[in-house]
Amino acid sequence: MASKRLSTDTWAILLSLTLALFVRIGLIKTIAW
Amino acid sequence: MATSAELPDLRTEYPSRPPEKPATFVSLLPGIALLAIVGYAGKFVEHFLNTYTKAHHITFPNIEYVLWAILFGALIANTIGLARIFRPGVATYEFWLKAGIILLGARFVLGDILKLGGISLILVFIALALSITFMTWLGRTFKLNPKLTTLLAVGSSICGVSAIIATQGAIDADEEDSSTAIAAILALGAISLFAFPLIGHALHMSDHAYGLWAGLAVDNTAEATAAGALFSDAAGKYAVLAKTCRNALIGFVVLAYAIQWARKGLANDTTTAQLQNKAAFLWKKFPKFVLGFLFISLLATLGSSTNPTLASLGFSKPQLTTLGNLSRWAFLLTFAGVGLRTNLKDLFKQGARPFIVGAVGEIVIAAITLALVLGADRIYHL
Repeated sequence: MASKRLSTDTWAILLSLTLALFVRIGLIKTIAW
Repeated sequence: MATSAELPDLRTEYPSRPPEKPATFVSLLPGIALLAIVGYAGKFVEHFLNTYTKAHHITFPNIEYVLWAILFGALIANTIGLARIFRPGVATYEFWLKAGIILLGARFVLGDILKLGGISLILVFIALALSITFMTWLGRTFKLNPKLTTLLAVGSSICGVSAIIATQGAIDADEEDSSTAIAAILALGAISLFAFPLIGHALHMSDHAYGLWAGLAVDNTAEATAAGALFSDAAGKYAVLAKTCRNALIGFVVLAYAIQWARKGLANDTTTAQLQNKAAFLWKKFPKFVLGFLFISLLATLGSSTNPTLASLGFSKPQLTTLGNLSRWAFLLTFAGVGLRTNLKDLFKQGARPFIVGAVGEIVIAAITLALVLGADRIYHL
């Protein structure tokens, strides 16, 4: 039975907001470029 | 994480392939690693050439990693080809694209627009309206496909690669169109880097007027900054300010195009029937990642607030820099993916027209913005 798939947008939002949260609370401090 | 991630349609490139099975997380890893290697190779070559030419006092234009990553990717895909093991991971480039755009929100603070002041903002709006109108007309005259025309119009009028990438996601354009538009915009950006300072000096422009012109007319942020700095240090500062103002409008233009294309139903003909319920259709067509972009943008704006309570809700400057860099890394994977998914046969089918449209458009837009800036300079003594 096919499970409900999340869209690429949803995955992108989830990843981005998680990264933003990590940056906000200091878990990710500096990312070099 | 991405065990059930939606993969883009591969049928146009691999017509004989069986239907795509849902990818497992492990099956994505080789392709993602390839994206990272190709992208990083582009970044490495840009850095190496810059260091080498500076050390040996050789005048050489800065070719951005974007172009190298796309070139390397296209070279692999169109010579040795993309092995099956890499395909699921390479197809995640759209995911990295959207994550990059959302994180890019950190680089667009609404207050940046205010910094530039009224007159500059008015010029940005006039230049934007004229550029988009002219490029759209030019694209239609040369009978380019509407999505490529839109990408070229947005790329040459707003801010080059970032805008093309942002709009590509919003209007569901093909990666070939995106790659053609990016190649045209980047090639023209390199030319403007040399042409702009020469014209500026010939016209004896002031630092402010020249910086404003470079910021308004040169497409990519890096090239706009460089074109400004090549004239003078002060002009470089003004160019960055004007360019930031233009950048800040990406979100709004992507939003407008998304609504326009959703209304036309051109993004996908099979969904035309769903137009019965316009609100639901609009919501379905609306690129949700734009909401993420706006949310991050809002937090970036709050962080710069003078009200300590509001500022505590947003991001600090170092945090914004970190988010901006995360966005760049996501785009690095995206650009490698754009190259790896580019079919040169299809690209050549497009012919020279996209480049001609891009070149004619750029020259006219540069002339229009120059006239606007010179006019404003005469009236307001910039």
